[in-house]
Amino acid sequence: MSPLISMRSATRMLQGWPPPLLDPAGPYAGSTTLLAWVLFGMGALVLLLVLAALWVALFGRAEQRAKLGGPTLIWIGGVAFPVVVLSLLLVYGLSLTRSLSGPIRGDEMRVRVTGEMWWWRVAYLDGDRQPFLHDANELHIPAGRPVVLELESADVIHSFWVPRLSGKLDMIPGRRNLMRIQADAPGVYGGQCAEYCGGPHALMGFTVIAHAPAEFARLMQSRLRASDASAPATPEAALGARLFQSTGCAACHRIAGTPANGLAGPDLTHVGSRRTLGAGILPNNRGTMMGWIGNSQAIKPGNRMPPYTVLSGEELGALAAYLEERK
Amino acid sequence: MTSETGFDPALYDRFPIRKARPKGELGELERIWAAPTGWARLTVINNNYIGLWYVGTAFLFFILAGILALVMRTQLALPLNGVLPQETYNQFFTMHGTIMMFLFAVPIMEAIGVLLLPQMLGARDLPFPRLSAYAFWAYFAGGLSFFASLFFGLAPSGGWFMYPPLTNMTYSPGINADFWLLGIGFIEISAIAGAIEIIVGVMRTRAPGMTLDKIPIFAWAMLVFAVMIIIAFPAVILATLLLELERALNWPFFDATRGGDPMLWQHLFWFFGHPEVYIIFLPAAGLVSMMVGALSRTTLVGYRLVVLAMLATGFISFGVWAHHMFTTGMPTMSIAFFSAASMAVSIPAGIQVFAWIATLASGRPRYNTPTLFLIGGLVTFVIGGLSGVMVAMVPFDWQVHDTHFIVAHLHYVLIGGSVFPLFAAFYFWAPMSSRHALSERVGKWVFWLMFIGMQVTFLPMHLTGLMGMPRRVYTYLPGSDWVVTNFISTIGAYMIGAGVLLFVVELFRSFRFSVDDSAGNVYEGGTLEWAPAGIYSVRSIPVVNSRQPLWDNPDLGKDIKAGRYLLPMSATGNRETIISSPLRAEPQYLEIMPLPSAWPLTAALSTAGAFLLLTVQAYGVAIASGVVAVISLLRWLWETDRPVALKLADVGGGIKLPTYATGPSTHGWWAMVTVLIVIGMVFLMTIFSYVFVYGIHPQYWSAPPDRLWLIPILGGYAAAAGLALLGRHLLAREKSTKWSPPTQILLAAAALGGAFTADFGSWRLHGLDPELSAQGALVMAFLVEQAQLVAVSVLMALYLAARTSSGLLSRPRNNSFDLTVLFIVYTAAQASLSSLLTRLFPGGL
Amino acid sequence: MPPVHALLPLLLLATACKPPPEQRPVMPAADAARGKQAIERVGCGSCHAIEGIAWPKGAIGPPLDGLAGRAAIAGRVPNRPDLLAAFIRNAPAVAPGTTMPAMPLNEQESRDVAAYLYEIGD
Repeated sequence: MSPLISMRSATRMLQGWPPPLLDPAGPYAGSTTLLAWVLFGMGALVLLLVLAALWVALFGRAEQRAKLGGPTLIWIGGVAFPVVVLSLLLVYGLSLTRSLSGPIRGDEMRVRVTGEMWWWRVAYLDGDRQPFLHDANELHIPAGRPVVLELESADVIHSFWVPRLSGKLDMIPGRRNLMRIQADAPGVYGGQCAEYCGGPHALMGFTVIAHAPAEFARLMQSRLRASDASAPATPEAALGARLFQSTGCAACHRIAGTPANGLAGPDLTHVGSRRTLGAGILPNNRGTMMGWIGNSQAIKPGNRMPPYTVLSGEELGALAAYLEERK
Repeated sequence: MTSETGFDPALYDRFPIRKARPKGELGELERIWAAPTGWARLTVINNNYIGLWYVGTAFLFFILAGILALVMRTQLALPLNGVLPQETYNQFFTMHGTIMMFLFAVPIMEAIGVLLLPQMLGARDLPFPRLSAYAFWAYFAGGLSFFASLFFGLAPSGGWFMYPPLTNMTYSPGINADFWLLGIGFIEISAIAGAIEIIVGVMRTRAPGMTLDKIPIFAWAMLVFAVMIIIAFPAVILATLLLELERALNWPFFDATRGGDPMLWQHLFWFFGHPEVYIIFLPAAGLVSMMVGALSRTTLVGYRLVVLAMLATGFISFGVWAHHMFTTGMPTMSIAFFSAASMAVSIPAGIQVFAWIATLASGRPRYNTPTLFLIGGLVTFVIGGLSGVMVAMVPFDWQVHDTHFIVAHLHYVLIGGSVFPLFAAFYFWAPMSSRHALSERVGKWVFWLMFIGMQVTFLPMHLTGLMGMPRRVYTYLPGSDWVVTNFISTIGAYMIGAGVLLFVVELFRSFRFSVDDSAGNVYEGGTLEWAPAGIYSVRSIPVVNSRQPLWDNPDLGKDIKAGRYLLPMSATGNRETIISSPLRAEPQYLEIMPLPSAWPLTAALSTAGAFLLLTVQAYGVAIASGVVAVISLLRWLWETDRPVALKLADVGGGIKLPTYATGPSTHGWWAMVTVLIVIGMVFLMTIFSYVFVYGIHPQYWSAPPDRLWLIPILGGYAAAAGLALLGRHLLAREKSTKWSPPTQILLAAAALGGAFTADFGSWRLHGLDPELSAQGALVMAFLVEQAQLVAVSVLMALYLAARTSSGLLSRPRNNSFDLTVLFIVYTAAQASLSSLLTRLFPGGL
Repeated sequence: MPPVHALLPLLLLATACKPPPEQRPVMPAADAARGKQAIERVGCGSCHAIEGIAWPKGAIGPPLDGLAGRAAIAGRVPNRPDLLAAFIRNAPAVAPGTTMPAMPLNEQESRDVAAYLYEIGD
C-alpha cells in the first residue's frame, strides 16, 4: 500500500467529498453539519432572490422595473427580510453554541494536548488530573464517550482541529482551553494545526484514533506495561539503544524506563506504534524513521530536530530498529 | 429660512451675478494657483497633483501585492511545488495581506478623497494641503522601502495580523518583524493625516447652501470613513507601539510568563482590524452610490436610508471585532454578543445593496464598463456577505475559521465591495483627470477577465476550505483532493492578473494627465466635480440647492466658469477657500491657504528616514533624521497662521468674509480637536490594556508607590493647565506686555515637565522594572505616552516663544497660541488621569 | 563519508558516460510495479528523491533517477543488477561505512525495487 493511501486513511481530511464538515463522526461535529446545510440553503436562496431582483432591474419590463425602483424595495429586501432571516438564524446558532459549549461533567477522560512548534505533546491524565502516560502527535480515545482535552501551548499560538470530531479551539500561552471531542465509532480521524504558527505550520498534522472501549482499555494497559520494561530485543536494537544515549537523541527525547529523559522533543516511549512520523506527515516505517533521523530538515524544513548526517547506515538502522520496538 | 451662524440665506438669491467680471482676474487666479514646474513640481501641494500621485502609488501597491498573490497561487497550484521555499512563502503572504490592507486599500480611499472631495464640495483645495503632501510623501517613501524589504529577505513573516508570541523577539529574532511595524507606522501617520483633512474638509469647506442632506453621498461615506479611522487606528497605533517596546526593550505586554497576555494583542488588533474592513468598504460603497445614479441617469433611491446605513455600519462595526476570535475560548456570553453584532452589521450592507438595485430599476442603466464593474461588484459582494453571515454563526465558524473558506469569503467581500467599485470609479472619473477617457472596448475585456477570474479563483476555494485546507500553508501533501480546486483557483488568479495587466496597458495607452484640458463629463454625472474647473478647482464657488446641481441647473457650469458665483478671483492675492458652517454650510470666513513648499517633502522623507534607520538599528543617524523632520515640520508651519492686511474680503454679491478667524469655529481648532481625539483614543486603549491584563493575571501585580506622591504630580499638572489658560487671558488684554502671555506658556510647559518628573521618578524610586512584569510594562507605557505629550508641549511652547520674538503673535487672539493652550490643557488632563489610574487601580485610595 | 554535494561531480561524470540503451542493466525475474509498492512501504523516499514517489522527497541520499546510466553505486560498487539488489537490501554489508542503511526487504522485494529504479528517469 502506498504511504499516500495509508495517509488517506489516517488523515481523513485529505479526502475530497464529502468534506469533513459534512461527514461528521461524533455529536460535537454532527450538530454543526445540519447548521451548515441550513446556511448553504439560506445562502443559495438569498443569492437567487438578489439575482432575480437585479435581473428585473436591468432587463425587466417597464412596469416591473417601476415596482422595484423605489424605497419599498429597500425596506423589504434590505431591512425586513434580513431582520427576519438573521433573527431566526441567530436564535438557532446561539442555542447550538450553548449546547456545544455546555458544562463539562468532570468525570470524562481527560487528555492534555500541548501545541509545540511544530508538533503536539500528549499527556493522558488520571482522576487527579495528573499525567500518567506520555505520547505525541497521536491521541487514542474510546469510541462513544466524550473526552475532554486540555489545550495548552508551550510557545506560540496553535489551534487544535480534528474536523470530523469538533470545531477548532486555539492553544494560547498562559491559558488553558477545554474542548470536548467524541467519536461515535472506532476509526482514524485526521487533524491539522489551524493557527499560523510560523515556519512549517503547513506540516503540523495530528491523528485521533478511536477504539472500541474494551480494546482501548487493553491498549492503555499494554502501554502502561511498556512504560516500565523496555529492554531491546535484538542485538541491532541493543546497538540502537546505546546510540540513542551516546549520539544525543536522549537529550531531547524521553523513553520511559531508560535514562533518556529529554523533554524538548516528542516522547518516544511508544513511537513504534505510531501511525505517523514528523507530526502526521509521514507513514511510520523503517525507511521514514531512518530518513527522519538522518535529515528531517529535507522533509519538514525548519523543524527543531537537527540533521544527523554523521550517522552511518548501520547506525541509522540500529536506531530505527530500537525505536520500532518502542510500542 | 433659519440660519446657523447669523448669515442671511437671502443673500444666496443674488447669485448668479450677471455683471461681467473684470479682465485679468482669471489670469491672476491661475497664476496664484499654478503648480511649480521642473524639479520644483515635487513641492506641489495642490490636491489635483497630490491626489493623482496618491492614487497612482496606491494602485502600484495593488499591482505589487497582486504579483505576490500570483506567485503564491503558482506555489499552491500543485502539491509540494517548489516555486517558493517555506520562509519566502510566509513572507509573501504576510506582505500580500499587509500591503493590500494597509498600503493599498486604506490609502487609495484617502487618495480618491484627496482627488475628488474639493471639487465635489466646491472647495479650492483641502483645508491643509501641506499636510496632504506630507502624508503622501511619508506613505510613498515608507511604503516603498517597506516593500523593498522583500528583496533582502527581511520582510516580516508573522502574518498581516502579527500575533505575538510568534512575533516577539524569541520567535522572530530578526529585524523582519520590525519592518512590519515600520510599514504600519507610515500608514498610521498618513491615515490619521488624511482623516483630519477629510473630516475638516467635508464639515467645513462645503460650497454655500450644501446642507447636510445635499452632501454628495461619497462625501458622507468619506466622513464616516474618516471618523472610523480616528476611532479605530489608535488601537493599532497602541498595539504596534507596545509590540515594538516588547521587542526592543523586553517589556512583557504579551508575554504570559511575566503577567502579560497574548490575547491583548488580538483585542487591540481586531478592534482596529474589523472596522478596517468597513473603512475599506464604505468609501467604495459611497462611490457606487454616486455612480449608480449617474450611470442610470437618475437619483439614488433612498439617499437618507443609505446615509443612515453608512452611519449604522460605522457604529456597529466597533462591536464585532471579537468575531475574529471565536476560536480562542471566549465566554459564551461574549460570543453571543459578537455573533449578534456580526449579523446585524450585514443589515446596513443589505440596505445599500437594495438601494443600488432600486436605483438601477428606476433609471436607464447603460451597458458600459463602469456599470459592468458596479453590477459585478454587487453580485460578488452579495456572495461575500452571505458567506459572512455563515461565519457569524459561531459553530460554523469553529469549523471554517482559518481555512481557505475564510480566504474565499474575505476576497469576495473585499474584491466585490471594494476593488470592483474602484475599477468602476477609475473608468468613471478618469476623464476628469485625463485628456482621453479610457477605452470602453478594452474596458469590457478588463471587466470580464477580472470578473470571471474572480469567480474561478474564489468560488472553488470555499470547497477547498470545507475540505479542511488551513490558511497560510506554504504547501500541502500530494494525494489530497485539494489538488483539483487549488489548480482551478490558480487558473482564475491568472485570469484576474491578465485583466489587471490589460488595464495597466490601457492606462499607458489612454491616460494623459490634465487639469484644464480633461476629457470631461463622459458619463454625465450631476455633481460639482463635473463642473468646468482648473487647478484652482471651480472658478467661482456656486450656491448649491440640490444633490445634483449640474442636472437641476443646466446653466450652472457656464455660470461657474464665467465667475458668476462666490470668490471668482483671489480676494487677498493669496490662495484661499471659503470655510463654511458645519450643518448648513453658511460661509464664515476665508481661509488663507499655504503655497507650495519643499518642507512637507523634507519632513516626510526625514520621517521615513528616521523610522527606517531605527529599524536597521542605526540609532545616531536615526535621531538626526528625526530632528530634521521636526525642524522641517516647524518650518512649514512657520509660514502659516499669519493675518493678511485686508481684514474683510468681498467674495461677491456684497458678502464680506473675515480673512482671519480664531477660536472653536476655525478649521485649525477642529483639526486640533481631531488630533486630541486620536491621542485620547490611544490613551483609552491603554487603559483598556491595563485593566484587561490585570483581569487575566492579577497575581503579578504589586502595590504602587506612596499615594502622597499624587499631591505634587496633580498639583503640577493643574498649575500647567492654569498657567496656559492665564496666558490666553493675558493675550486678550491690551495692557499685557509682549512677552507676558508666552511666558505663561513656557512656565506651563515647565510645570508639565516637573509633574511628569515627579510621576516617573516616584515609580523609579519605588523600584518599577518594566522588564519584570506586565504591570511595570504598562505603567511605563503610560509614562511613555505622557512623556511624548509633554515633549510636544515643550516644543510648542518654544515655537510660540520664537514666533513672539519674530512679532508673529497676533492679538487679541492667535491661532497658534490657542492651539498650544488646548494641547497643554489636554496633556495636563490626560497625565493626571494616568497618574491617578496607575496608583489607585487596583487597590483604591 | 563525504557529504552528498561532494559526490555531485562524480554523479555528473557517471551521467556523462552513460551507456547506450541496449547496454543498460536489466533486472531479471523482477516486477517494477511491485518494487514501487515496496519503495512506498519501506519509505525509501525519506532519503532519496525518486521519480514517481510524490512524498516524501528526502535529501540525505542522492536522487535516484538515471540510476541505470551510472557506472557505480555509492561511488564504489559496480552498478550490476545483483549488486544493486544486495545493496538495497543490506548496504552496510556491500559497502561498509555507507550512509545507506539496511532495509527490511526480502531478496525478491529488493530485486523488484532495483527493477523499478532501473526503469525510471533515463
